Amino acid sequence: MKKDQTVGEALRQRGVSRRGFLKFCAATASMMALSPALVPKIARALENARRPSVIWLSFQECTGCLESITRSASPTIEDLIFNVISLDYQEVLQAASGTHAEEARKAAMQENHGKYLLVVDGSIPVGNPDYSTIAGISNLDMLKETAAGAAAIVSVGSCAAFGGIPHANPNPTGAVGVSEIITDKPIINVPGCPPIPAVITGVLAHYLTFGKIPELDHLGRPVAFYGQNIHDRCYRRPFYERGKFAETFDDEGARKGWCLYKLGCKGPITYNACAVTKWNDGVSFPIQSGHGCLGCSEPNFWDKGSFYRPISAGMWGTPEGLAAAAVAGAAIGVGSALAARSRQKKASEEEGA
Amino acid sequence: MNINMEAFDQFREGVSRLPEMIPPAPEMADDERVRRFKKTIIESVAPHQAMDLETCVHCGACAEACHYYVATQDAKYTPIRKLDMLRRVYRRELGPNRWLHKLLTRDITAEELEEWQELVYDSCTECGRCSLICPMGIHIQDMIIMSREALASAGLAVAEQRALAHEQGEKDTMFGMGKDMFMQGVERLRQSGLEVPVDQPDSEILVVSTVMDAALFNDAMEGTVKIMNSLGRPWTMSTCGFEGANFGYMAGYYEYRKDASMRVISAAIDLGVKTVIAPECGHAYPALRWDGAAVYGKPFPFEVLAISEFIGREMKAGNLKVKPAFSGQKVTYHDPCKLGRMGGVFDEPREALKALGVDLVEMDVNRQQSYCCGGGAGNFIINRAAPLRAKVWELKRGQFDQTGADTVVTSCDSCRINFMVGAQDTHWEKPIESLAALVGANLAE
Amino acid sequence: MSLLDFARGPALQWSLIIFVFGVVWRIVGAALLMRTRDFSKARVSSGDRVKGGVRTILTRSVPPETFEKRIRFQFITGSLWHIGYFAVVLLFVPHILFFESFLGFGWPGLPNPVILVIGAITLATLVALLVRRMIHPVLKIISTADDYISWVVATLPLITGFLAMAHLGLRYETMLAIHILSFELLLIWFPFGKLMHLFFVFPSRYNVGAIFARRGVRV
Repeated sequence: MKKDQTVGEALRQRGVSRRGFLKFCAATASMMALSPALVPKIARALENARRPSVIWLSFQECTGCLESITRSASPTIEDLIFNVISLDYQEVLQAASGTHAEEARKAAMQENHGKYLLVVDGSIPVGNPDYSTIAGISNLDMLKETAAGAAAIVSVGSCAAFGGIPHANPNPTGAVGVSEIITDKPIINVPGCPPIPAVITGVLAHYLTFGKIPELDHLGRPVAFYGQNIHDRCYRRPFYERGKFAETFDDEGARKGWCLYKLGCKGPITYNACAVTKWNDGVSFPIQSGHGCLGCSEPNFWDKGSFYRPISAGMWGTPEGLAAAAVAGAAIGVGSALAARSRQKKASEEEGA
Repeated sequence: MNINMEAFDQFREGVSRLPEMIPPAPEMADDERVRRFKKTIIESVAPHQAMDLETCVHCGACAEACHYYVATQDAKYTPIRKLDMLRRVYRRELGPNRWLHKLLTRDITAEELEEWQELVYDSCTECGRCSLICPMGIHIQDMIIMSREALASAGLAVAEQRALAHEQGEKDTMFGMGKDMFMQGVERLRQSGLEVPVDQPDSEILVVSTVMDAALFNDAMEGTVKIMNSLGRPWTMSTCGFEGANFGYMAGYYEYRKDASMRVISAAIDLGVKTVIAPECGHAYPALRWDGAAVYGKPFPFEVLAISEFIGREMKAGNLKVKPAFSGQKVTYHDPCKLGRMGGVFDEPREALKALGVDLVEMDVNRQQSYCCGGGAGNFIINRAAPLRAKVWELKRGQFDQTGADTVVTSCDSCRINFMVGAQDTHWEKPIESLAALVGANLAE
Repeated sequence: MSLLDFARGPALQWSLIIFVFGVVWRIVGAALLMRTRDFSKARVSSGDRVKGGVRTILTRSVPPETFEKRIRFQFITGSLWHIGYFAVVLLFVPHILFFESFLGFGWPGLPNPVILVIGAITLATLVALLVRRMIHPVLKIISTADDYISWVVATLPLITGFLAMAHLGLRYETMLAIHILSFELLLIWFPFGKLMHLFFVFPSRYNVGAIFARRGVRV
């Protein structure tokens, strides 16, 4: 692929019809809750867009986010679009390795300085930067030097967004998300463990179309995909309202598709597009498959107690603590009563009434 | 009614002239009053009272039980409010959260104590009705008794009761009437042909009387003597323990209370009796039956019965028989608060009335929920409270009228006086009879 | 740590510790004052006195007709809001799970719309009774700051619970955190105000029942 090809040229070269391309633009527009009137604008923008340089850095990650994007039974439009970005560095997909890979990265950074999109997955250990290195460079240093010339950063997955699994208690590596290190660049958080493929491509498409980042919520997540909670869009909500819950994973309620609140579903406090966009091209999502939402697009979701503990369950502390409080209360109560009794005795022995 | 109405008018006259005869209360500095009030409360509060004071949720239901509130609709008579001085002292001095209440709860002042005299004396007869309605189960009544003790120790007992308690404690007389008046009553009965044993050793039963019966309610005294004689068991009255009334108990003077109670208790012990009978004088019964052992310091070696209780018991045992002389007559029975609700005597008077053949019509509110006559706990001698008592009379009169009864029967001199005062002032004609008098006057041959 | 994590975690632990500590202190401190023995002869056996006390614990909740017709309004509204409040607290499924996580066992709940209706009636009744407290002569003269503070502290969880459940007000997880915190405020205030009647009502009713049973009077 030539680097200065437009996206439109690249697509036609691959045999994507005009109609197929417009379908994609319409689907993208609707997914981002944009007006249909904007579809021609999206189409024109994408068609004429220079294939932007994208550098994808992977730090302390499981590669699940990449798997999510690339997983497909047959080549999808998303897949094709992905291939028409100029993905100048991605450790799993690229052909090069070793010093050649690093040279390719440095060259892309130099050529597109200030214009390339930096995509990050995985958390960055700051506790001891040497916990994770690539080509002898610590994640921390690689991030800083690559972010310096980026136009914007997309933190894909909960690890890059909030620290993810490595950040979970006791966080031995001192793992953090990108936005705790880079503070002078626009960052889009696309959390999820992993995020929905269509969400990732939707965010990229938005950036390509409009040249700027979409509206973000207080956690830096695109409102278009993370603006509503799972509970509000969950198809099992009527059962929650009616008080019909699965009590165990194989009981009558579970088989009838009742609400999974009692089995620890974190839907009410999780914001993501799972209940609407779903996974595997809209086939299903965890709740539909019978497992409660883990809350994987929220910060610290590993540290909120068991996945199977309902939201309304409290973290009570130890019975010993309460027993100690009761004993202390009894002791002070006895003391108070004894002091009062001695006052009573003294008063009754006193003269003068 | 077989009583001397002249004596009744004289009695009313005497009560109205009490204030001019009472020496002024001893001077006391404000902070001394407060100190003494607090001391009495501090030494008296028991755990069940402490927990009661912690439980009040200010729901105001107690007002709806109190005959003074019901009759006047004046919120200041709310029973739990009458305990406010006591409550604040408890919270600041004894309660488990006193550290907090020292900051949040106002200390009591002498001015407030003076204001509370009216609430604790004039507008409370210690009838206990509030203790029955409180949804939290607070026994308000026994804390009113404590409040009177505390006010009395602070020199703030209401004047008339202070005077009577002092007189009875020091001289064993009430309104100037003592042993002489008692013996006058005895002599009158002897002259009419009745045997009246006095100070008889080897007796089983001591009958306690009251100068109110000797001076005013002769019918009750006569009825009692006739009943006792008909049973054929050795009984006696006593010149040492003739008075059942106890102004120290009502006014809140512990020492005077003890003096009055010990006269009766000592007489009973000296005479070696098994049974002591309290006269038809409201508080006399609980003063001896329920609260007498407290001043004695240990259980009595004798049992205590109210005369109406004794009558009912003897009737049930078949020892006492009466003629159904009131056959067909509509009669209603007023449960005195100290005998019924606070005493536990409900059925025996009714047994007696049924045996007399009456057509017993119950008031809409009776037995343990009965409305107090409005003058109990010595309140009938508080002159300034007369208008308040008049309002309660309207309430009681309404109850009597609703039954359609021709006669009201009760077993308490205090209730009788209060009803007679109300009846006289409003020209209400129906008689107010004593149970003992009726039974005694209608014994079967 | 998010507000919700704080509310569900340390705030819950500490407020519960303060609650247990304060409640036990207050009960023990009141119950152990000097007591006197009653030397008078009881009319009934001690077993019957106990029965009288226990009986009064139950019967005091339902006044006899003589009293009931005079206190009908407060009896009906008082019962209504107490029952409604406990129904919302104990029969709403997320609450049941809250208790289950502490006790180890749960129980069946009511459907959410039913809880909503009960909660609405409870809240309306509470507001009506607050107004009553402010205008009724008897209540005005005996009410203290404690009465109003306790009303606010008890009603806030109901209001915030409504808002959270209906997804009104702030974002859901924030409203939920505020709701849990308002419950913790209730726990912290509880030992110091009149809400303690939850515990004291039992010995108080028992004692008045036993004292009167001793005299042969059923109350």
